[in-house]
Amino acid sequence: MNDFNAARDIPILLGAFFVLTAAIGLIRFPDLYSRLHASSKLITLGSAGIFIGVGLEFAQTEALTRLAAVLLFQFLTTPLSAYLIAQAAYLRGLEPLLEGPDEWNALGKAALLDERLEETGGR
Amino acid sequence: MRGVSLNILLAIVWTLFVGEFSLRELVIGMLLGFAILSIFPLSLGTGNYVGRALALVRFVLFFARELTVANIQVALWALRPRPPLHPMIIAYPLRLRGDNGQTVLAATITLMPGSVAMGFNPERSVLYAHVIGLESPGAARASLKKVEDALLPLYGQGVAPAPAALEENA
Repeated sequence: MNDFNAARDIPILLGAFFVLTAAIGLIRFPDLYSRLHASSKLITLGSAGIFIGVGLEFAQTEALTRLAAVLLFQFLTTPLSAYLIAQAAYLRGLEPLLEGPDEWNALGKAALLDERLEETGGR
Repeated sequence: MRGVSLNILLAIVWTLFVGEFSLRELVIGMLLGFAILSIFPLSLGTGNYVGRALALVRFVLFFARELTVANIQVALWALRPRPPLHPMIIAYPLRLRGDNGQTVLAATITLMPGSVAMGFNPERSVLYAHVIGLESPGAARASLKKVEDALLPLYGQGVAPAPAALEENA
């Protein structure tokens, strides 16, 4: 158990820490929209740290190119799913817990929802 | 597009020269090809490829720093007793036009400190974002403006002016 390798283990430990805080944030933040902040940002960098550590462990071209591809798609898909979850929740009328203004007001919300319902045929 | 393909072609020519086709030699070839393209942008007809490539590198560095800040910030909020979230939804009027640029902007601010993209207005001229940890909508708009400024050279409709060093060669 003594084979601690700083270049490999520090990124993995940092990544694991961020994934852990993402889990804690998911439970502790007050509403869906705030929880999306924890899941989107922390999971992205957390898994990036773990992937980088794994890549340095193998240190071969094949492993590095595959991990680069995994990282790229992680960075492309995580924000997309956060965006879709936030938009779907808001347009379906889930009230956000706000202390500041809501500049995407109810009127615009209703108009967009009608448009969306027309597009999908009411589904 | 012409700039990218010429750069890749030059990298492949370089691997033929050294007689070894590997990721390492391809990267070296890309860098040498990039140097050639930055010296002869006019005779090779690659336009502003070099300027856009440098803007991309600047954007990636900016993004890496912002993502790190965002993570430390949200991690601390998740751990401390009563996090000062102050959630609000702001409207941000966009200067960026076009699907690609706006998609990248929405994805980027979702990974940046304090903001998650939520939607566009039907005219695609306003971006709505859920913001935590900032005092006022004005401060939130200022932080989104930094991202848009970094993206405008990459996705702006007009051609950005060439760097001063290249003008002298013309």
